Amino acid sequence: MALLEDISERYKEKVLETHSLLGDDTVVISREILPDLVRFLKEARGFNFLMDLSAVDRMGKDPRFEVVYHLYALESRARLRIKVPVAENDALVPTLTGEYRSANWLEREAWDMFGITFDGHPDLRRILMYEGFEGHPLRKDYPKERRQPRVGPGSRPETAFERGPSIEERIAVALKMSGVSVRGENGIRNEIMYLNMGPSHPTMHGVVRVMLALRGETILASDVEIGYMHRCFEKEAETHTYTGVIPYTDRLNYVSPLINNVGYAMAVEKLFGAGTTERCGYVRVIMSEISRVIDHLTCIGAFAMELGAFTVFLYMMKAREYLYELVEDVTGARITTSYTRIGGLKGDLTQDFAGKCRAAFIGVRDVLQECDRLLTRNRIFYDRTRDVGVISREDAVSCGFTGPCLRATGIPYDVRKAAPYLVYDRMDFEIPVGDHGDTYDRYRVRMAEMEQSMRIVEQALRDLPDGPVCLNDKRMTLPPKEQVYTTIEGLMNHFKLIMDGHGIRPPAGEAYFPVEGGNGELGFYVVSDGTGIPARVRVRAPCFHLVAALSHLIQGEMVADVTPIFGSINMIAGELDR
Amino acid sequence: MGLEKLLQREAVTTRLDAAIGWARKYSLFQYPFATACCSMEYMSVACSHYDIDRFGAGLPRWSPRQADLLMVVGTISHKLAPILRQVYDQMCEPKWVLSFGVCATSGGFYDNYATVQGIDTIIPVDIYVAGCPPRPEAVLDGLIKLQEKIQKQKQVY
Amino acid sequence: MSVTYLPILLLFLITGAMAGGILYLARVIGPRNMTPAKAMPFESGIPNISPHDRPVPVRFYIIAMVFIIFDIEVVFLYPWAILFRKLGLFGFMEMTVFLAILALGLAYAWKKGALEWD
Repeated sequence: MALLEDISERYKEKVLETHSLLGDDTVVISREILPDLVRFLKEARGFNFLMDLSAVDRMGKDPRFEVVYHLYALESRARLRIKVPVAENDALVPTLTGEYRSANWLEREAWDMFGITFDGHPDLRRILMYEGFEGHPLRKDYPKERRQPRVGPGSRPETAFERGPSIEERIAVALKMSGVSVRGENGIRNEIMYLNMGPSHPTMHGVVRVMLALRGETILASDVEIGYMHRCFEKEAETHTYTGVIPYTDRLNYVSPLINNVGYAMAVEKLFGAGTTERCGYVRVIMSEISRVIDHLTCIGAFAMELGAFTVFLYMMKAREYLYELVEDVTGARITTSYTRIGGLKGDLTQDFAGKCRAAFIGVRDVLQECDRLLTRNRIFYDRTRDVGVISREDAVSCGFTGPCLRATGIPYDVRKAAPYLVYDRMDFEIPVGDHGDTYDRYRVRMAEMEQSMRIVEQALRDLPDGPVCLNDKRMTLPPKEQVYTTIEGLMNHFKLIMDGHGIRPPAGEAYFPVEGGNGELGFYVVSDGTGIPARVRVRAPCFHLVAALSHLIQGEMVADVTPIFGSINMIAGELDR
Repeated sequence: MGLEKLLQREAVTTRLDAAIGWARKYSLFQYPFATACCSMEYMSVACSHYDIDRFGAGLPRWSPRQADLLMVVGTISHKLAPILRQVYDQMCEPKWVLSFGVCATSGGFYDNYATVQGIDTIIPVDIYVAGCPPRPEAVLDGLIKLQEKIQKQKQVY
Repeated sequence: MSVTYLPILLLFLITGAMAGGILYLARVIGPRNMTPAKAMPFESGIPNISPHDRPVPVRFYIIAMVFIIFDIEVVFLYPWAILFRKLGLFGFMEMTVFLAILALGLAYAWKKGALEWD
């Protein structure tokens, strides 16, 4: 690749390795050139997105850790993976917070989970775990079940309640970074009131804690604390087989679980170098889009309810029930579907799916029309959301925004169009785009996207081909029961895929596969070492970046504006904290 | 009794415990301590299709001062555990706890360093509703069982 | 006292009795169990948050005062609405004077910036 050659030539011996295995351009460098390389890529080659930053613990190899950066260029649609190996006793890497705003929280997470220090980071502290927690959980030598309870049996006083910096100290950092002084002008003391919008709060959609420094009702600065729903998806993935990880992926973005299932399955299929059958491609697209409609219905319903439009919530939940019944028919569950398998699906669509789907969509379109009449030109709704939580295009790109929040600022980036997967290249749909980047535009973009998703499903149902829904590949698909019970090859195949120690074993390697989730680019970075258990599964969670920018979005607004802004971001705790 | 014959069919007599139990069970104010995927099913239960309001438990109050039923909906992590404990402590008697979903009941399939293996290690639980997530009908079943429990228990007053 | 006011008195008595009765019943039946946790203010579950004894910003007071004045003004307009025909032109002129005085007050508050939030 021309880019890889350019990088090798520019940095010569500091570039340790370059390759393009499985279609992912990768360059392994030593850490000194990292800031310079990133600056070069950003300014000269247009890599304006830091999609993901994580680390891999290659226990037993030297150097032990590898910090992995995924970059994306918006105009040229190019992707690049940069890997920086660091040794265990010298786990120090230069920070990228000067280049990309999204690096702030990503580096905090890498520090929390792996213990890798980022030189120059303004505020390196734990993000997913709590103060007093000892150790770095995603390291391979940290046992998965070693709990450090804060309350109840086995708890230690170091982890109890509120240890660590107090609310004033935490916000002092944020206040300083935003340039507000505690002493006001003319020596008159700034009476700053600290307010805690705590984890157990009706509008905190689950569990996020926002600490606010207020002057009257205006927010001077804020500090957002997450991690209250950390359920160790990535650690669980390292102890289960490839198929066993699929139920954990449901619970990531639990309002659109099918999209997570599809994303993970496609990342593992990429490792194999295999695809799926054509019918499977269409069915995955149909279920993903239905899941996306469910996601947007829930987001807008909850968001409207918090602004006082309770009727909209009830109507949208009614529409959601129609779709849940549809999903339940096909997958067996309403929410935690676990529908995809590596190489295919759990089962085919039901016979009468097309008819039921059309009937459900009539109901959903009715509801959407009504809610549109209730909200879109509603004076109160408009006043509360127009020009509230505005973010500019440059800031959104720097913060790593993707999905409806980015499209609301005017940038038409959608993974389904930029890097089409499955059968999206054959579908005819539009990407709704806003222009102000405020809460109202985020609402409008989501409403428009639901209609586009339903269009896609109707096209897919029209063009759905016949055929098998699982790839006929011995390495991943279970053979049909007739063969298992009557032929020896079938029995052996079944045995090798099920029994412990065998199982689905992709060849050693790594793959990053992005899909368009309900909130943006949902990427799965899977590292395989050739055994039946993944070596590392990393989720690029879209709403992590959105919530990281929350402090920036609410600054200068009033307390009552936190609710619409937070609601329009569609934070899903399962995906945020993984 | 003579009193009943006197009143014919114009009044009902009962014991104070049963009367208070009847009043309390049909006016449960819930505190949905919602965290994870189960909160999607909680939304379904609370809305038109499955309608928890028919059972009198339809007004969620996000304040422990005003609630008597703490529904722990979803996974509780160790980071969140002290907050759950504090919220439970701040509720006034009489109070009941409904553990919604397997993650709250026993940790679910999250046997790891961050998940509390069942909220009954932290707070006392009255009703466990299993499921991942439980269907709304299962939640309503659990609520009805809780109502029976409230009716029959020795009331505090 | 005129007999036409008797229903209002009865209304007050019955309402008072009902409200009082419900509160008394709640006091009799409700258990008393004060613990330190219950005495603390509810901060979404986080204990020991910063003390709330700081002075409140003055603009809250200003908004409250302006509201009270104009709210009372509206309350005074209600009886006029009922007796509008009976009072006729005399009432209209009186109320115009009343509203004009308060409008002067509103203009002063507006000019001084009491209606701005920041």
